[in-house]
Amino acid sequence: MDMSMTENATAGSRSNAPATAATTEAPRIAISGLDFYYGTNKALKSVSVEFPDRKVTGMIGPSGCGKSTLLRVLNRMYDLYPGQRAEGKVMMDGDNIIDPGMDLNVLRSRVGMVFQKPTPFPMSIYDNIAFGVKLHERLSKAQMNERVEWSLTRAALWPEVKDRLSASAAGLSGGQQQRLCIARTIATRPEVILLDEPTSALDPISTLRVEELIDELKRDFTIVIVTHNMQQAARCADQVAFFYLGELVEVAPAAQMFTAPKQKRTQEYITGRFG
Amino acid sequence: MSHSLSATPQTQPPAQPAQRHGTSSGAFGDKVFAGFARGSGILVLALLGAIIVMLFVGGLKAFSTFGLGFLTDADWDPVQEIYGAAVPIYGTLVTAVLALIVSVPLAFGIAFFLTEMAPNWMRRPIGTAIELLAAVPSIIFGMWGFFVIVPFMAETVQPWMIDTLGDVPGLGVLFSGAPFGTGILTAALILAVMIIPFIAATMRDVFLTVPPMFKESAYGIGCTRWEVMRSIVLPYTRSSVVGGIMLGLGRALGETMAVTFVIGNTNRISASLFAPGNTIASLVALEFPEAPAGSLKLSSLLALGFILFVISFIVLAISRLLLRPRAVKA
Repeated sequence: MDMSMTENATAGSRSNAPATAATTEAPRIAISGLDFYYGTNKALKSVSVEFPDRKVTGMIGPSGCGKSTLLRVLNRMYDLYPGQRAEGKVMMDGDNIIDPGMDLNVLRSRVGMVFQKPTPFPMSIYDNIAFGVKLHERLSKAQMNERVEWSLTRAALWPEVKDRLSASAAGLSGGQQQRLCIARTIATRPEVILLDEPTSALDPISTLRVEELIDELKRDFTIVIVTHNMQQAARCADQVAFFYLGELVEVAPAAQMFTAPKQKRTQEYITGRFG
Repeated sequence: MSHSLSATPQTQPPAQPAQRHGTSSGAFGDKVFAGFARGSGILVLALLGAIIVMLFVGGLKAFSTFGLGFLTDADWDPVQEIYGAAVPIYGTLVTAVLALIVSVPLAFGIAFFLTEMAPNWMRRPIGTAIELLAAVPSIIFGMWGFFVIVPFMAETVQPWMIDTLGDVPGLGVLFSGAPFGTGILTAALILAVMIIPFIAATMRDVFLTVPPMFKESAYGIGCTRWEVMRSIVLPYTRSSVVGGIMLGLGRALGETMAVTFVIGNTNRISASLFAPGNTIASLVALEFPEAPAGSLKLSSLLALGFILFVISFIVLAISRLLLRPRAVKA
């Protein structure tokens, strides 16, 4: 009781901190007072945070802390499941994206997502990319070829697959499949890319490639990455947010977060005291 | 005291591995189990073979008397001892295919609704209802069809169809004739109701096997429910979906009682779907008691059974063939 009071107080005083910490630019997504419920279970408690434009925000915290839940709010994935609901404000380009009137198919073309495990669609490499593009745009064959090459190149996969675009995506290695999923996500040219522990199923070399890719992609996209790996957060993220038991404990530039965290619990978590 | 306690654990562990040498007490049991499993597997083959051989040998007399004409002859005349299988073969195929045409979209809709759309509190009752529907004995469908569906078809559906579809050029001939209520179309509808639960339950179960992450990743690039179903779920579950449909088709081909009640049992082929007809299973069930041992009639009925067997086999083979390219790729 007493603890939650102090947490709310810090959450309130923190709400405008990230903007000054990261950039002076307007944030791509601004969340304020977000609550999330799985049925009657409250999984996010009055979370307020901003994701700066074309920066990488890392979300860390122990399992069940709500970081993946927050990610699933940003593309309304929770809408697929009865009994899950969000309350509060998630502003993106002037729209509250958790508003019931939001067009989900359009939203999801603007906010792409990559999952923990590679999820290639049961079709060819080429079609994996073209499939998502066709949902939202009407392109000629040449334009589509160009788009497929562009996104595969951006995902650092083009040299490896350019000779077998019509082969099944299931034949790629795990790391290649994950880069294909990233290529598929950027092919629809979203504004925001959500990465849910994108390297947790990959070997170290593939992980390195994906991390390099994230660094390269942030020139064009706003990226939000959930990770259990604190080194990864330190390597990839410009800004890091630490969640614990459904609350946002602290958000700060990555360098500051890992060297001089303000909150005691953040310090305990990043030094491996719990979690 | 404390010394002896600490000493026993030290001496005991090395002694244990020695006990494992020698014959395991499970080895004999394992042999019995392996023998039982192998025997069961072989028994399936033996049973199948025995049934085929019995039907073929029993029907040999009819096949040798009528030759290939048995398949194309539409007469079934016990008085003159002329038997042809064309009418029941036609009736079997047409009712089964019509039943599939009606039931597959409905079953797909049920499965889609249950897996993707229905709120949680609705899933269980509807799922249970489907399973109960599958458990209803076919004689009940037959009686229900005869007392409820046949009058309804005769008084409402068929007159309406004759008025509307009956005048369409080409298509009209399918919906012409007198609205008896009984006939091919009614039998097909009853069959459709009977096989919907099988197909729907199979589809629902296999749709649920698609990992949520796959569906989410398709939703995540902006797919609608239908696009996710068509491009992700159906390709992922294709072989099982076709398997479920074949299961339904198999049941529709062989169904006896429910069809006997409503098909009219007339040995005639007519273009109209309202006309009475016959199916292999229904004909065999009706005529079998009147076929004396060793007669040509009994042989013809067994030959019909053999033909039904072959049709089912061909259906199965076709479904395997349809699925083959996919299996090679995976």
